[in-house]
Amino acid sequence: MDAITRIKQLGMPRRNNELWTFFPVNKIPNILSADGNCRIADECSSSEDFANEDDFAALLPIVCNARELVKTIDDGENEMAMLKCNNDFGRTVLNVGKNAKASFEILDNKVMHEICAERFDINVAEGAELEIFFANPANDLPLTFRHFDIKQAAHSTVHFANVLQDAGIGRISARVELNGEGANFDYRSLNILKGTASKHQRLTILHNAPETVSTQFVRNILDENAYASYDGHVVVGNSCSKVNSSQLVNTILLSDGPSVSVKPVLKIYHDDVECTHGNTVGELDKDQMFYLTSRGIPSDKARAMLTKAFAKELFLELPEGPAKKRLMQVI
Amino acid sequence: MLSIKNLKASIEDGTQILKGINLEVKPGEVHAIMGPNGSGKSTLSKVIAGHPAYTVNDGSVTLDGKDLLSMEICDRANSGLFISTQYPTEIPGVNNVEFLQMALNSKRAYQGLEPLADADFKKLCEEKMAMLEMDDRYRDRGVNDGFSGGEKKRNEILQMAILDPKVSFLDETDSGLDIDALRIVAHGINQIMSPEKAVILVTHYQRLLDYIKPTYVHVLRHGKIILSGGPELALKLEEQGYDWIEEN
Ligand SMILES: Nc1ncnc2c1ncn2[C@@H]1O[C@H](COP(=O)(O)OP(=O)(O)OP(=O)(O)O)[C@@H](O)[C@H]1O
Ligand SMILES: [Mg+2]
Repeated sequence: MDAITRIKQLGMPRRNNELWTFFPVNKIPNILSADGNCRIADECSSSEDFANEDDFAALLPIVCNARELVKTIDDGENEMAMLKCNNDFGRTVLNVGKNAKASFEILDNKVMHEICAERFDINVAEGAELEIFFANPANDLPLTFRHFDIKQAAHSTVHFANVLQDAGIGRISARVELNGEGANFDYRSLNILKGTASKHQRLTILHNAPETVSTQFVRNILDENAYASYDGHVVVGNSCSKVNSSQLVNTILLSDGPSVSVKPVLKIYHDDVECTHGNTVGELDKDQMFYLTSRGIPSDKARAMLTKAFAKELFLELPEGPAKKRLMQVI
Repeated sequence: MLSIKNLKASIEDGTQILKGINLEVKPGEVHAIMGPNGSGKSTLSKVIAGHPAYTVNDGSVTLDGKDLLSMEICDRANSGLFISTQYPTEIPGVNNVEFLQMALNSKRAYQGLEPLADADFKKLCEEKMAMLEMDDRYRDRGVNDGFSGGEKKRNEILQMAILDPKVSFLDETDSGLDIDALRIVAHGINQIMSPEKAVILVTHYQRLLDYIKPTYVHVLRHGKIILSGGPELALKLEEQGYDWIEEN
């Protein structure tokens, strides 16, 4: 089934679709006409089968006939590069060969558009190590979708990290398959939001092999009327022993205005697994604020020092490399 | 210099902890405050510093004639007040030295001075750390992060040395210090002290007062100063405890 047929079948995202629970779906321009036809294109250039794709945001770039960029890193190679997304609908296919090591920074689209949708298909072969990250300066595109489809073979590692601090509405979605024994997926996201920024993340991590590991660490620093949501699904298959999965979302509210929604979902079909999830929402620590101000530091500066410390802690455990360097620097 | 008059303060549920404290501290003086557990000594220091857990119900606190109670917490510090709390707060992720530099430069900004150049700050910091026999661990870690009880107290005195306050209120700085550390820290306090400055020491033991000779010793009980005297009072308290005071 081509992408257009599939998107027509799915219809526009609605709140009762569990992939879109927290997203302000009324902000998405309707691309389907009243008779159910797609307004954007009549025909798909891609002949891939999308019958199993449920996410509107994953289909959108395909429907829009996004120009495809294929990047392959050969077995055992080392590569550090930047992925530029210069058109409003981009599709990047990234193949990382066996035991290769790669680091990719995703750069923003700099052109203002009503809507921006990108898709990344990432295949990580046995023993490969990939870090993929973005920390773009506030660009304030009104509506952005970034979808990741990641497949990991045995003993591969992916570090996926980002900092979001623009004022628009955005959604990051990822579907991660840990298909080989010992595959490891690590997700870290920092949201520093104010104004009417509205940022939503929807991850599905499928542990399809034994001894696979996934971590999801999210930190939100929210002010004014910002809204952040995190919806993380972890599925552990029935033949998958010794799986380890943890999810932790920590939020600091700097005022009464912002809000946060967190929904962890664990579907576990095996006994010998360790899965944890946690969620905290709070203000800055009062004693820490007192300590800093009682040493003469004005309260706005003290607040900035404490939020910075909270933010930095998220990326401390990243391996030394371009991602850590860049993310620490933007904080 | 520091003048506390009829200071009354309560906690959130309305319980009054300080019930009318009077204390006059002049330049060059060292005041020791002693008293049983729970009498209000730590509360006094936090109320003066502006801790949000307390409400002042009555009285005044002035530093060189300026009303401290109407100032922001940071301005009280920048006007020359230094409070070392009994249990210094840990702040992981905020580097100890960067914090010190920020604090010093905040004070300088308050005084209308330019920030101290990095090299000059480094020199100052090294000098004070050497005086207190502190090693690099204090430099690299977060503020009090994972410090032992004694290390935290020593770190407090480092802050005092760098900020160079007019009046320092040191709450049980001696507890948690080993014998050598007590000597080093007491020596440090004596070095920082000068005829223009004053120190208030809260302590339970005479041993700190062997190193830092108090001008006055006060007994605080049930939120009030019930007795004041010279250094000999501390010796008597060490021998006889507090019960005899009420009997008088
Ligand atoms: N924030 C607070 N909330 C509740 N009770 C408090 C608070 N601060 C102080 N108190 C109470 O006020 C009283 C005085 O406490 P404070 O810490 O000032 O005593 P202290 O003289 O310093 O005692 P210690 O010698 O044990 O350090 C105690 O009964 C204490 O429990
Ligand atoms: Mg106390």
